[in-house]
Amino acid sequence: MSDVILRVDNVTKNFSVRRPGRGGRSQIQAVGGVSFEIRRGETLGIVGESGCGKSTLARCIVQLLPVTSGTVEFNGSPLTGLSRRQLRPHRREMQLVFQDPFASLNPRRTVADIVAEPLRVHRFGTRSEIEARVRELFTLVGLDVNSLVRYPHEFSGGQRQRIGIARSLALNPQLVVADEPVSALDVSVQAQVLNLMAELQEKLGLTYLFIAHDLGVVRHVSDRVGVMYLGELVEMGPADPLYDAPLHPYTEALLSVAPELDDGRARTRERIVISGDVPDPADKPSGCAFHPRCPVAQDRCRIEKPSLIHAGDGRLVACHFPRRR
Amino acid sequence: MLGFIIRRLISAILVMFSISVLVFLIFFATPGVDPAARIAGRSASPAIIAQVRHAFGLDRPLPIRWALMMDHLFIKQDLSSYVNIGSRVVPQITQAAPVTLSLVAGAAVIWMVIGVTGGVIAAANRGKFIDPVIMFIGIAAVSVPAYWLGEVVNLITQGGLHHSIFAWVPPSGYVPITQSPGQWALHLIMPWLTLAALYAGIYARVLRAELVNALNEDYVRTARAKGLSERRILIRHALRCSLIPIVSLFGLDFGALIGGAALLTEVVFGLPGVGLLTYTSLQNLDLPVIMGAVMYGAFFVVLANAVVDIAYAFLDPRVRIA
Amino acid sequence: MSFATRAGVVRAVDGLSMSVGRGETVGIVGESGSGKSVSMYSILGLLRGPNVSIEGRVRFNGQDILGRPDRELRALRGKDIAMIFQDPMTALTPVYTVGWQIAEQIRQHTDLTKRQAHQRAIDLLAEVAIPDPSRRVNQYPHEFSGGMRQRAMIAMALSCEPSLLIADEPTTALDVTTQAQILELLAELQERRGSSIVLITHDMGVISEVADRVVVMYAGRPAEIGTRQEVIREARHPYTWGLLGAVPRLDSKRARLVTIPGNPISPLDVPPGCAFAPRCTYRHDRCSDRPPMRGTDHLDACWLDDAEKEQRRAEIEEAS
Repeated sequence: MSDVILRVDNVTKNFSVRRPGRGGRSQIQAVGGVSFEIRRGETLGIVGESGCGKSTLARCIVQLLPVTSGTVEFNGSPLTGLSRRQLRPHRREMQLVFQDPFASLNPRRTVADIVAEPLRVHRFGTRSEIEARVRELFTLVGLDVNSLVRYPHEFSGGQRQRIGIARSLALNPQLVVADEPVSALDVSVQAQVLNLMAELQEKLGLTYLFIAHDLGVVRHVSDRVGVMYLGELVEMGPADPLYDAPLHPYTEALLSVAPELDDGRARTRERIVISGDVPDPADKPSGCAFHPRCPVAQDRCRIEKPSLIHAGDGRLVACHFPRRR
Repeated sequence: MLGFIIRRLISAILVMFSISVLVFLIFFATPGVDPAARIAGRSASPAIIAQVRHAFGLDRPLPIRWALMMDHLFIKQDLSSYVNIGSRVVPQITQAAPVTLSLVAGAAVIWMVIGVTGGVIAAANRGKFIDPVIMFIGIAAVSVPAYWLGEVVNLITQGGLHHSIFAWVPPSGYVPITQSPGQWALHLIMPWLTLAALYAGIYARVLRAELVNALNEDYVRTARAKGLSERRILIRHALRCSLIPIVSLFGLDFGALIGGAALLTEVVFGLPGVGLLTYTSLQNLDLPVIMGAVMYGAFFVVLANAVVDIAYAFLDPRVRIA
Repeated sequence: MSFATRAGVVRAVDGLSMSVGRGETVGIVGESGSGKSVSMYSILGLLRGPNVSIEGRVRFNGQDILGRPDRELRALRGKDIAMIFQDPMTALTPVYTVGWQIAEQIRQHTDLTKRQAHQRAIDLLAEVAIPDPSRRVNQYPHEFSGGMRQRAMIAMALSCEPSLLIADEPTTALDVTTQAQILELLAELQERRGSSIVLITHDMGVISEVADRVVVMYAGRPAEIGTRQEVIREARHPYTWGLLGAVPRLDSKRARLVTIPGNPISPLDVPPGCAFAPRCTYRHDRCSDRPPMRGTDHLDACWLDDAEKEQRRAEIEEAS
């Protein structure tokens, strides 16, 4: 399949942490056996609550973190296990956009410098070529080219995120991995950045891996959506059917409690408030990781771990008793 | 918790061991330093030097020499000075230690009381007149060198005014507490104040900064929303959290001062403490005394570090499980 | 309860008049710098310092409370009016147990003994559904998860049976499932105790789930006030339209989100006239004068006339 740009196969990431009180170190599985593909030009959204491993997964994909096991294939060639030098040509093809536009820009450099940096590192061209490219990028993301010589603190949060996007687009990447790109922004500004990302995708034929905790935002941008819980994908599929008729009880609960505008239409979903907190990843429940909080869990769920299986229409679900409609 | 204390103490012992090896290597195994020649005296013949070397075990391998040294220093406690043959190292230190301890402990009480009070008053009145006044006094106290301040104090109390308002100040020197507690305190009051001035200044400034930060914390807003009085918020909430770094600072300063860092104050006021002992032994290159004094100083610094870490665990519940 | 405040030389809050009925939930919504938190802090005397000044009138249970000496306000705070805050991580003092902190508030306002206050803390933790409360009461805040900390904060706020609870972004730092638990808990407690709630949030969705009435704020000024249905279904102010349109929906995908151009302004540089005018698509000549809040129950500060508002809103709905 030539149109698959990224293939993630059974990626697992463990962290070794010191356990208080118990002595010694233990393994925490932040990401456990995640597999999926992204096709060229599409947007895959990954949604999940804090601590579900979605950011770790993003870092594993762009090779900022080494995977513990599994493979990440980009344009048909494996990235896992490559040296830094071997990775370099791939790095320009995939870029990461961070959550915090305040922390990810060096405060002591002008924004032109910041956007030009990847160009210099990858020897894009002469000084004037780089300068021209930076201007082009500024125009592309809707920033005033007269503000090139200013410093990050002189910009608002939304403008800073535009600068971050300009930097990530400098080398014409094919894949942009965006980790919570709008969650630090005010609603009105968030909408501007989401619209910008959609425009850029259309204009430049970008592929997005869009990671966020906000269900509405993920639905808005994504063609397909994956739902993560405790480091694992519990459900994946095209956005519309997944949101309209979730198969996994976790997805169903998540959607049922996400606040919605009361615009007069009757609420289609009954609220399912699941109790308790997300368990400690160091102490994952047996069988299905969601079973202690699951409203429909049965004995089997405590023992046997469900695998992510096809459920028709391009949908996948990891549940012994998926919801039927 | 117990496991934490044991682990911390073991690491302290390891640090002590490393320091003893390091100090030993510096003073006894550096090229150009021949302890035997120093012991034998200036005009000794090579034969005598060789004899001395053998007698003191200086011709044995380094690890053995280190072990012998430690044996003499800590177990037999009969290590003797190379310069004043016959005077033993350990008694010298045990004689000097109470002097230093008296000086530092008294000063510590004074600087903690003044520093904490000053810091709290400044923080409580930030933005008002009193705050910069306290902070200015603090920076002045920090900037004045201890020996200069000591000399000035001496000049005033022992000089022209000695026969009028400062007649109660005894001449410099030390009186053991066992002999006369009153005289002990009277002799130490000026050294205490001199030594405490610097630290009180530092502590007041550090505590004020910590308190001002703490007063902007969310939990202080919560405390206000609970309807607590400003005084209670300041003392029970902000100060309680701000004291944590102060305690660690205190432990380290206290350890270093006991270990000999109060040298200048001791010299100025003629107090025969560990600082003075180290100072003279360094001037004479009296290797065993240096060794003993450094080990003694290191012991207190390392001990203070361990105590601070353990105290931290009691003060800050977040550290307890980590 | 009604008030109009103005704080500082920078008018962080300017000309806000609102009321909260008994047992009612009023939502205050706005973006950063809209003055939504400041307005509530200032009436309780939580903003202090020589640079803060407040004008206007605040009545609580029929009594004027603005400008009362701190001693009197203190007796009110935590007892009749309680607050919970956004970040339960930092809102509790880290060096005391959760139970100690709850008991501290109880002992501040009642004559209970230490032991009684401790027992009351356990009961309160049980009431907010913290499992194993007699063990949890002796734990430190860092031993609680985010959701549990917020429950503990709520337990503390409720300890003296306040008639008004001010919740400042109580669920913003929490995950969706935890947010649902907390909102449900608040609703349940309100029903049981009949207290009023002022909920400050930036999230239109949350407002829409829980508020009876809504105050939309922009740059320290109220833009629109009305019942939830009025503000969310029949919004009259262009800023409210923008806010509503900018929220991505769960139930259907829109091609593009409605956006408000530019950034939320800081109260430092509010322009003369209508504060929202520089970002407003429907700006016209009259906007150089400051629009008053107009209407009877459903109020808004916009110069457009009612027919035009109705038409514009219909257009926007059509487009999305």
